[in-house]
Amino acid sequence: MPASSYPTSPMALNRGSSPTSSIFKKQKNSSSSPPTAASYLSALSQADARARNAQRGTPTSTPALSISSSLTSSTEDTVLAEEDTADSDGLAVPVGKPPNSEQLYTTVHTEFGHCYNEEYRNISQHPLGAPIVRHVDQEPPYYILFSTYISYLILIVLGHMRDFLGKRFHSYSYRHLMPHDGYAPLNSDFDSFYTRRLKQRMDECFLQPVTGVAGRTILLLDRYTPDYNHTQIMLETRTRALNISSYNYLGFAQARGGCADAVEEGMKRYGVTSCGSRLEGGSSDLHILAESVVAKFVGMEAAVISSMGFATNSTFIPALVSKGCLVISDELNHASIRFGVRNSGAHVRMFKHNDMKALESLLREVISQGQPKTHRPWKKILLIVEGMYSMEGTMVDLPTVLKLKEKYKFYLFVDEAHSIGAIGPHGRGVCDYFSVDPRKVDVLMGTFTKSFGASGGYISGNTALIDRLRIRGYSGAYSEAITPPVLTQIIASMASIMSIDASVGLAVSVNKLGLPSSSSSSSTIHQVTEYHHPGPISQRTLPHWLSLPPPLASGAEGLMRLRRLSFNSYYLHRGLDKLGFITYGHPSSPIVPLLIFNPAKMIMFHRMMKDRKTPIVIVVVAYPATPLVTSRVRFCVSASHTKEDIDSVLRACDEIGDVLDLKHGLSKGERWSVNEVCERAVELVHIPDNEH
Amino acid sequence: MASASSTLDTMVLSIAQSLSAVERTFYKLPGSAIIERYVRSSHQNDPGRTFLELIIFFLVVRTLLQSRTRADRNNGKNFIEFTDKEIDELVEDWVPEPLSKPLDDVEAAELAAIPVVAGHNGPHPTLVNTGKPAINLASLNFTGLANNEHVKQRSLEAMRRYGVGSCGPTGFYGSFDAHLQCESDIAEFLDTEGAILYSQGFSTISSAIPAFCKRGDIIVADRAVTLAIQKGMEISRSTIRWYDHNDLHSLEEVLQSVEKERRKRKGPLTRRFIITEGIFERDGTMTDLPKLIELKQKYKYRLILDESFSFGTVGRTGRGLTELYNVKASKVDMLVGSCAIGLCASGGFCAGSRTVVEHQRINSPAYVFSASMPPLLAVSASEGINVLRDTPSLLTRLQENVRAARVLLDQVECISIPSHRASPIIHLYLRNTSMSSSKPSNPSSPIPRDAPVFDIEKEERLLQEVVEEAMAQGVMITKAKRARGLEITEAQPSIRLAMSSALSKADTEKAVHVLVKILKRKFR
Repeated sequence: MPASSYPTSPMALNRGSSPTSSIFKKQKNSSSSPPTAASYLSALSQADARARNAQRGTPTSTPALSISSSLTSSTEDTVLAEEDTADSDGLAVPVGKPPNSEQLYTTVHTEFGHCYNEEYRNISQHPLGAPIVRHVDQEPPYYILFSTYISYLILIVLGHMRDFLGKRFHSYSYRHLMPHDGYAPLNSDFDSFYTRRLKQRMDECFLQPVTGVAGRTILLLDRYTPDYNHTQIMLETRTRALNISSYNYLGFAQARGGCADAVEEGMKRYGVTSCGSRLEGGSSDLHILAESVVAKFVGMEAAVISSMGFATNSTFIPALVSKGCLVISDELNHASIRFGVRNSGAHVRMFKHNDMKALESLLREVISQGQPKTHRPWKKILLIVEGMYSMEGTMVDLPTVLKLKEKYKFYLFVDEAHSIGAIGPHGRGVCDYFSVDPRKVDVLMGTFTKSFGASGGYISGNTALIDRLRIRGYSGAYSEAITPPVLTQIIASMASIMSIDASVGLAVSVNKLGLPSSSSSSSTIHQVTEYHHPGPISQRTLPHWLSLPPPLASGAEGLMRLRRLSFNSYYLHRGLDKLGFITYGHPSSPIVPLLIFNPAKMIMFHRMMKDRKTPIVIVVVAYPATPLVTSRVRFCVSASHTKEDIDSVLRACDEIGDVLDLKHGLSKGERWSVNEVCERAVELVHIPDNEH
Repeated sequence: MASASSTLDTMVLSIAQSLSAVERTFYKLPGSAIIERYVRSSHQNDPGRTFLELIIFFLVVRTLLQSRTRADRNNGKNFIEFTDKEIDELVEDWVPEPLSKPLDDVEAAELAAIPVVAGHNGPHPTLVNTGKPAINLASLNFTGLANNEHVKQRSLEAMRRYGVGSCGPTGFYGSFDAHLQCESDIAEFLDTEGAILYSQGFSTISSAIPAFCKRGDIIVADRAVTLAIQKGMEISRSTIRWYDHNDLHSLEEVLQSVEKERRKRKGPLTRRFIITEGIFERDGTMTDLPKLIELKQKYKYRLILDESFSFGTVGRTGRGLTELYNVKASKVDMLVGSCAIGLCASGGFCAGSRTVVEHQRINSPAYVFSASMPPLLAVSASEGINVLRDTPSLLTRLQENVRAARVLLDQVECISIPSHRASPIIHLYLRNTSMSSSKPSNPSSPIPRDAPVFDIEKEERLLQEVVEEAMAQGVMITKAKRARGLEITEAQPSIRLAMSSALSKADTEKAVHVLVKILKRKFR
């Protein structure tokens, strides 16, 4: 058993000493680079020596010396990371089982944590044939509900009193809420009441400016408010904090490593921008390549990529359904889906979140009744569900939905924004998790923000559908095409999860345009027959200039990321459960909501986490994103976190949970102590889902 | 028996006692007198009235308790009860339409012919379609920033600093210093109090409009606004009035009629907006901004101006229409622009007062619910602004190219050009017999009284032939692509040329000359 319990490791955060002035005015400072590179190298060799001492007997490979070349373009951010390296052992230098030299060189610990203990891995898969247990929300004790309502009542009464008095005695600051000069107020005082009187009190939890890479750790730009959050004043200092908030499931948010090198090459070859919309001169061969990679990754015939995740839903759904069609939508579907559905003009019905019985009875009702008033049959019915729900961490019951689909003949649209890459033994999302053929689903949508460290989104389906969407979706003709750096990141990260099959790649001649010989346009993408889903992708379907380092190309690192993510998700989820907290959602989901209820506790929880010795930044979500009472903290676990990182989150939650009275889940007798949780982590993770 | 009656007595007694206790406590409650008076006056010795009140009360309670997802079953008069067996049969019988219609031959051919660039896009890209280099009059690279090595270098450095994705919405650790810098650069460039950055140009205005305009508000919009604006207005559920395309007289008439209507109804003061574009995406016409501002101030409207195609393309240093007409940008309440088009990066922005900007940070769906744009693109947008500010010659060169192209195109008789002479996008229509309207159009309808008549299918086909022929001859051009059937009114088919200062005047003339020759031959 490796050393796993490291209570609050001391770490210096050198709050004042960081360089701060604007990054845009800075020239590359050659005088500062060599010493930092040197210090970095010496830190590496020290860690390497430690590794060798610890693993006596196992041969370690010699360090790759290419590190110096990749550090020549060093920016000040790495300098910061290295200052941490010298001073502390909390966030910058791995604790636990030391890495071997080879591994250390591929990632920066502050971006992607080093964790080489093979025990801390898990496979995310639904056991075949096992029943799917529906998630039941745990109820808090009545006094918590009562005090939550009372808190909101007090806040609302106080807010109205302040408005009443303020408008009479301090009217200037309420000017924007009242009609003036014949203009109606831009924002009525009623509409903005929640924002002004409740949200503003906890503004320190939101819009926190950051810098650097949003990886395992993140650099916060410190700020303070002199006037109760009316203005935020930026300070010159920065704080490095453990980041359990960003959507970085597979840890691809990296400024170093194979993917970043590929992006650099891509930017050199394709530039920064794509100049226009897909149909009007903004397409390049890279777009077509990326779309075929995405289609293979998700296991569909074809895919179309849009430059923004939100817009993928809001601009393509109107191309799928129109007046006379019905959209059945889960009540917790994302705002982008609602936006798209409203733009489409289709009729909408909602069903209770993830409740398959409610869905079936709704289906029976709408099909038998037909369109309202006229009773004409619906042209088509589109069921829109999410693979994983971003506020709940719950997963759609896909096998049951598919059974219903067979009987009720609706079309199925699965939004995999949070599940693609994040779950399934091969990272291919919810279909992979349940071992379902993705082609049984009509439309698979997803985003690149969450798992692939890129941005934008895709829609995949059969070729006829996707070609129709290319010309009918708004994105094709009206919005800018996705940019080359983002495309390269998508291709590189997806290929590294799929693993690259180089065997056929060498034989194929590449014509002078850098394209595999035959493909000529988007509608006739060359289908490579040898691809079997989910399997390795052939080198010839990737850009010829893309060369990933061996750990990425072989798929070993991709697999490691998937396994680590699953371990971390299960560990945090079950650890919190065992400590006595109420959590929502499926344990394999990287989104772990921890219920807080009382509004005032949210800001306290946020502050106490951030003010710890190892600061942890968290996301608190409240009404209107959640129901009024169930305010929550939403942890987003990443493959870049080490087991020790999750330990420190659990320890922090344990301490704060006691102070704030948040443990309303398991009864006292069933709980584990935090030490027990940390020590028995592996055991905890491997409990089968239905026995937990 | 006696014991039974005595228990009954005690029960009656205790009930009477508790009732009187309830009555006493009721009268002790503050405000109870009001309730009592209300009940008495509504009762008026008529049990029927009380009964009615009770029914209303229960109806209210029932409505409040009703499930929000099953509205039809409970109060729909149209609901028909079926047995399970009947439902099963209906389900069995129902045959849905296919999810999508496969492309027909024309559509498939057109999709196959869209220009695809091999490698770096720019003024002289290599086309995948032909395998040969071409002169680019299709891609949006107005000031040549796409090929600026300095911008590229800075973006690369930013990539090494931030990685690629921002990994979160702005609210939750997705707000990087690069975004803040870009926002303040835009605000400073335009001289507004602030600016807010969205991660896609199209979504900027279609989300900013519903952030401000709500049900009951009034929007007066141009009849030819772009699809993004149409969709934004649709989401907002506001009352929409239309004025004739780029006709400020018509606008004034509509504003007057709205005012008259409001006086007649004596409605409360609602928010009122004028929404239009700087340079229209549909045809390249340009709004007369000073006159528009005058009208907006006279009738007390707020102005949402979409400068997607004018920001970064007109004005001495590319500040857009406000610089061209020497109007203060702060006079435009919400100035929406595109970093993707004007600055060759990605995303869009909305500039305005501090209140306007901060309002969107909480209320604009595409901002709140979407990941922020990759920081490296924000850096490239910032650098784009620096380049524009420092090199006004880029804009002069662009205007020279526009003029050179217009000189050649104006000689062609078979086409008409609706675009403004300074517009860097030039739309070419097949010449139609235009009708001049004399009577005003109906402001509630997006369709003008004398709508131009054109045959979409035929014109699209002819123009597509021109486009393909030009591409074969080494000139990359494109039709203005439309999602037919999804826009409120159909736009006339056109070829859309995009000028670029990255092209020399000679190259521009050469390319346009090729196009002119094809047009002359085809439509002689």
